[in-house]
Amino acid sequence: MNYPMVKRLILKDWYFLRWAILAYSATGLLAIGLTAMGTDASSYAGSILLITVMIAIGFHLVMVTVVGERSEHTLPFIMSLPISPMEYTTAKIGANLLIFLVPWLTLTTGTVLLLGTEGARSGALIPFSLIILTELLAAYVLVLTVAIVTESQGWTIGVLVLTNLFFQGFLYWVSHLPAIARGMKGRGAVWDQTAVTLLAAEVGISILLIVMAFVLQARKKHFL
Amino acid sequence: MTNLAVQFEGVSKEYPHFKLDDINLILPEGGIMGFIGANGAGKSTTIRILMGLVHQDRGTVRVLGHPMPAEQAAAKLDIGFASEDMRLYKGATLRWHMEFIRSIYPAWDPAYADQLLKRFDLRAEQKVKGLSHGQRVKAALLLILARRPRLLVLDEPTTGLDPVARQEVLGQLMEVLADEDRTIFFSSQNTLDVEQISDQITFIDRGRIVDSGDKESFLERWRRVRLDVPPGVVLPALPGTVAAAGSGRLSVITTSSYDPAMTAAYRDAGATVHAVDTMTLEEIFVAEVLSRREGKVA
Repeated sequence: MNYPMVKRLILKDWYFLRWAILAYSATGLLAIGLTAMGTDASSYAGSILLITVMIAIGFHLVMVTVVGERSEHTLPFIMSLPISPMEYTTAKIGANLLIFLVPWLTLTTGTVLLLGTEGARSGALIPFSLIILTELLAAYVLVLTVAIVTESQGWTIGVLVLTNLFFQGFLYWVSHLPAIARGMKGRGAVWDQTAVTLLAAEVGISILLIVMAFVLQARKKHFL
Repeated sequence: MTNLAVQFEGVSKEYPHFKLDDINLILPEGGIMGFIGANGAGKSTTIRILMGLVHQDRGTVRVLGHPMPAEQAAAKLDIGFASEDMRLYKGATLRWHMEFIRSIYPAWDPAYADQLLKRFDLRAEQKVKGLSHGQRVKAALLLILARRPRLLVLDEPTTGLDPVARQEVLGQLMEVLADEDRTIFFSSQNTLDVEQISDQITFIDRGRIVDSGDKESFLERWRRVRLDVPPGVVLPALPGTVAAAGSGRLSVITTSSYDPAMTAAYRDAGATVHAVDTMTLEEIFVAEVLSRREGKVA
């Protein structure tokens, strides 16, 4: 694996998206700020804005760095460089995860800190919030995998729409799970088996999807 | 023994509606090969296999000594590749692209890059989205030439250019190439472009190589013989005759292996030879392809 080359490609994507990363992070922090204001309206608006920002970052990243590379015909330029298709795949997954994780971690950490410092009652929302935010991460990894493997705008948008629809159902389902619902009404964060299992499943699915992306790319015979 | 820059042996690739069939091709180091074919003939597929970006179903490919696609990354370190569908990043300047390429290729020559900037009349600080198509082609050429590759692979780089821009790009490319000794694999459907640059020619049609050889021998071998054939005279069937056309007494014979003895044979048969015309590469290509499609062996 030519890691210096992979690093250059990751830095290249970072460079092209640097202002977008900044803008999304700033908007995300604004969302946390709204939530911190404490009123029902501002909390609701902050939550919606936060989720919207996370979905928008994922969509923007995948469309620019993966699908755009093909539709804008910059893929032949990149593939003419001394890299193998697997190195290209590594660079794309690396760049996307890195760029996504910067605002995701910032906003997730901000959310947890906010919920944790609002008192024991609000801390009860931490497991639920983490499960929801990690679902957004897993959904993003799914969209990224589909984009890398298919390089198709249609498939990517289709899967994105499905993951967003799924998210609405997931939100409802998780909030109505007896263990989670009880935890949210309690005092402080409750990490019972349901919450831990859900989080582990989301992380596990994300890892599995990344492995699948590599496996499917390794079997490809056409890269242009 | 001459080192081979490109070597295809029995390479095949099958798609649902197209087959690249039994491609055998060699390009010695220092050679300039023009790869001519109509749209959909298999030029780009061949070049993508050469670059390791499409894996062949059968056969072996070696580029600069590297088996492809297995060692494509190592091979591409010494290859400069530009294709008609290749674009640079619109939002970045040419300077950014130059720095990006410089960070990857140890052989990048900054002085030469500056020289090419002037020669191609480009401004490094200009964003790619502000460049005309001709300027974008020149910018791509600058990026591959200044890394001083051992092998240049150009896949229809002049397609889509207006005649003036095409001539400008070709002229400047030839000027640059005249300074140096590089191996070039140049594909085009424009025979005039290929004729100007190449010293070896390969024709491809419907996924098969139909002829390959050095340009001079192509131009020497192919002739059009114009004859006056009186009634009752039957022309001898000479080897290499690719096409025979005409009306009334006038007959035009196209041959792929001209020899002055041919005219003597026609005269002996009773025909009068009016002229023996040389053919352009385009005429040769069209005659070759049509004769192959009609099942005549040139």
